[in-house]
Amino acid sequence: MASIVTLPITLSPAPSGWSKPSLSKPSAPKQLPVYPAGPSFIGSARRQILQRSFEEDDKHILSARQKADAAKEDKGDGLAFPGLGEEEEPSHVLSQDPKEWKKQDHYAVLGLGHLRYKAHDEHIRVAHRRKVLRHHPDKKAAQHGANDDSFFKCIQKAHETLTNNDKRRQFDSVDWNIEDEVPDLKSLSPEQFVDVCNKVFAREGRFSKVQPVPEFGSLDAPKKEVEGFYDFFYNFDSWRSFEWHDKEVNEGSDNRDDKRFTEKKNKSERTRRKKEDNTRLRVLVDDVLALDPRIKRIKAEEKAARDAKKKGTANGAGGAAKPLTPAEKKAAEEKKKKEEAEKKEAEKKALEASKGDREAAKKAKEAARKNLKKWKKAIATVISSSNYFQPEGTAPSASVIEKQLAELDSLVEILEPEEVKDLKEKVEKAGNGQPAKDALVEKAKATGEKGAGKFTEFA
Amino acid sequence: MVSGLLRQRKQSRETILGINFGQSYASIAVIDKEGHPTCIANEEGERQIACAISYVGEQIYIGNGALPHLVKNGKNTIMGFRNLLGHTYDEVDHTTILTAPLLADSKTPAYTVDILVPPPKPASNPRSAAASGTATPNPAALEPVPSTQTITVPEVTSLFLSTLLTSATDFLGVKPTACVVSAPTWFTSAQHDALKKAAQDAGIAVLQVLDEAAAVLVGYREGSAGEEEKRDKKVVVLDMGETSLAVSVVQVSEGEYTVLNKGRDDRLGGREFDNLLLKHFSKEFTKKTKVALDLPCGPDASAADKRADAKLVLAVEHTKRSLSASSGAATCAVESLKDGYDLSSSINRLRFDGLASGVYRQVGNKLTEVVKEAGLDLAEIDEILLAGASTLFTGLQQHLSLLVSPTTPVTSTIDPSEVIAIGCALQALHLENLKDDDLKVEDVLSSTKEKVDVTSAPIGLVVPGQESDELVVVVDSGAPLPVRRRVAIPVEKAGSVGLELWEGNHEVKVTKVERPPIEKSEDDDEEDEDDEEEEDEEIKTPITKKVKALGGVQVDVKAAGNLILEVVVQRNGGLNVKAWQEGNESQVDSFEV
Repeated sequence: MASIVTLPITLSPAPSGWSKPSLSKPSAPKQLPVYPAGPSFIGSARRQILQRSFEEDDKHILSARQKADAAKEDKGDGLAFPGLGEEEEPSHVLSQDPKEWKKQDHYAVLGLGHLRYKAHDEHIRVAHRRKVLRHHPDKKAAQHGANDDSFFKCIQKAHETLTNNDKRRQFDSVDWNIEDEVPDLKSLSPEQFVDVCNKVFAREGRFSKVQPVPEFGSLDAPKKEVEGFYDFFYNFDSWRSFEWHDKEVNEGSDNRDDKRFTEKKNKSERTRRKKEDNTRLRVLVDDVLALDPRIKRIKAEEKAARDAKKKGTANGAGGAAKPLTPAEKKAAEEKKKKEEAEKKEAEKKALEASKGDREAAKKAKEAARKNLKKWKKAIATVISSSNYFQPEGTAPSASVIEKQLAELDSLVEILEPEEVKDLKEKVEKAGNGQPAKDALVEKAKATGEKGAGKFTEFA
Repeated sequence: MVSGLLRQRKQSRETILGINFGQSYASIAVIDKEGHPTCIANEEGERQIACAISYVGEQIYIGNGALPHLVKNGKNTIMGFRNLLGHTYDEVDHTTILTAPLLADSKTPAYTVDILVPPPKPASNPRSAAASGTATPNPAALEPVPSTQTITVPEVTSLFLSTLLTSATDFLGVKPTACVVSAPTWFTSAQHDALKKAAQDAGIAVLQVLDEAAAVLVGYREGSAGEEEKRDKKVVVLDMGETSLAVSVVQVSEGEYTVLNKGRDDRLGGREFDNLLLKHFSKEFTKKTKVALDLPCGPDASAADKRADAKLVLAVEHTKRSLSASSGAATCAVESLKDGYDLSSSINRLRFDGLASGVYRQVGNKLTEVVKEAGLDLAEIDEILLAGASTLFTGLQQHLSLLVSPTTPVTSTIDPSEVIAIGCALQALHLENLKDDDLKVEDVLSSTKEKVDVTSAPIGLVVPGQESDELVVVVDSGAPLPVRRRVAIPVEKAGSVGLELWEGNHEVKVTKVERPPIEKSEDDDEEDEDDEEEEDEEIKTPITKKVKALGGVQVDVKAAGNLILEVVVQRNGGLNVKAWQEGNESQVDSFEV
């Protein structure tokens, strides 16, 4: 910044007849070394490197300084967190017994009851400082002549606990001012359900070692988000611990066995509680998953999409102008029947619970796989009974057999289950020999790009 | 730990370290939690850490602990290694080396020291059933083996600097991330590079190797009240350490430092004071005990004398410190100095100043010489900045203040023994703050070539109608270009006011004064050696005479108030002048040359 120095002279109006002297150039500069040190040098280097003129640099410095001032204001003790540490202190907080520190609400003592686990280190520091200024025993003694420093001790204990990461974690783990309770979810409307769950999981998420924790989300959250959320909470890694509830080891006692016994008990108690807490969360997530209106919505959407796709493919097949063979008709009918059955089943399952649904899906999948195997076997039987399409009387070589069976496998893999079924029926109908091979070749060709180059025997 | 989101760590500040790496002593400074620079003590509680390394058997002593070994174990003690950095063996002045011998055949100077190598571990076959059955290992095999070690100067430097780093790390709790190391003003760039490399080898993140004089300027600047230094001034930086004296004349122009001249004297240092004290106390000792003792002793003195010398040197160190710290008498006590006799004596400041007046005068002469070489008169010096522990003597400070004009302060507001380290720490802080501006440290430091363009003559203004031929200086000579100055000139009443801009020439006006100058506060009437100034009846005042008119400005002033004049000297030497009435920037009269 350009500093202005007032010169020790005064000016009066120029005498009459005075005119400006003519311009001339100052003497040429000379060369001298300069120490590369100090803020002024850095300033001049900055101007030179960034090619700024004096005016531009002034502007930059001014804006930087304002920014710094603003930042300082945010941080300064007097101005940071206005109102913190100046609130009314309820009498039950003030009259606490410092000896009962295990039962003491450290956040309330520092006036951070509204922030709790969200309180920043800086909050705690500032709150503690203000509380100390307010409740210091020296000050009290001067004001009332009272010699009561019990609340001051409470403040110190609270500060000690909350500034120590380990102790704060232990206290936060068992902070009895934050309930673990969850309202009855079944009786809630979908909107209320989402609302409640958002709150509950934000609260549970504070124990996560992994941050940030995904939110429960809104009623119309996409599938990916919902799945991500449940994934996270089924794999929840919690830092919650229960050392706070430990029974004091009697330090005075010389009895080592006694100490060890208490320690052991504490340890098992801690693990028990931890286990309990993990179960509690798991059950909670299970319950929520079962009742989640979004899961139902997503399932319905998926089914609709599947149906639409199926309809599309069915229409495409029907449009191929070929009249349906009786077998195809039968297959279609069967499919329809099956679909209907599935649908019924699915509905039934959906009514029951999502758990059943998953099982059903699994069953259906397994059944399909079994069928596929059956059909493949049928085709393989036809092939083998046609002597692997080798001339009568000659025994097919092992390599040919192997190749054909391998190609059959890959063919089945590429084709949709429905198509495999179709193929099986065609092959069986065609019977042994060349016609069966023709059917196979035709299918292999129909695989198009997917099967390109894979088939030599069936080409 | 607990949720990172909720409890973000406080933004960790960069940890800053400044190292004053002197020839005899080093000191370290850090920026503390409040953002102030402080000189810190090492784990031995020493703020002045001796640059000495001593190899004693299997042990290595570094720092003040190595000093006592200089006597007992001189050939294995290394001192004064800094000045050898960046030199080849042939360049080294061998007469100054008092300690471990330098190897003749090495390219980089290297020392050889005798050490004891720990014995090789016996082949371990632990828990062998036969262990008890085997013969007891030869006891000689377990003894350390005498051996020699060769250690080059850069290695010694790295070793020493790494102990400084350890001390700072212990103090800070974390390793410093930014560091500036000082180097003497006369170091060549090759020596700078060697020092930087040695420091980097020690694991120090060196941002800059800073000239000691520059470190002093930066260090004292922080002590001054304003955030920015206002005006141009000519400053002498006088750095008197244990072994050498360095004087720099620097033009400070709004915080930029232009070097006008520098000089050094390698013989003049705190050691001179030591020798004076040694002489004094040995005389006292002889007077009291009738035991002949003449200190400081030469190399061919008897062993008893040498021992006495070593003992007294350590004791005198303490005496020296108390002399500069308090006005009372400083004691010196040594048990069994020679022949079983103890020394217990004291010396007061007056007596010491009398002893040391010769050294004081040498320092003053050196200062005068360097100032003269810069083409200046002592009267033109605006301030003397002191650095180095030896300048702590009040006698020396008084002597210096008598040399220059009475209004010139001799500044030692920051402890001169710590100011270099503090300046280094501050410079590291300034460089570290560059990151906020997205500037690279290397770019900034390389932006100055060896020499830069500076104004060659002062530019000032002349009020028309006044007959005086003196200038009121606005831009002094020696200001790095481009330079901008703004001044305010009070205007008495409304009207059209004019100003002339002139280039000037510094001169010293000598006024004869008839009456003798004011009595000196120092009453050293016992010694009449340095009393030349008392007869001086001239008062010298620096003035600037006008030489060449550069142009003028004329502004219509509506009411009495301040006229603002802005003078900018461009990088190419061009001149831009603007003038306007304060608060009325629309009416500007300007000219450009």
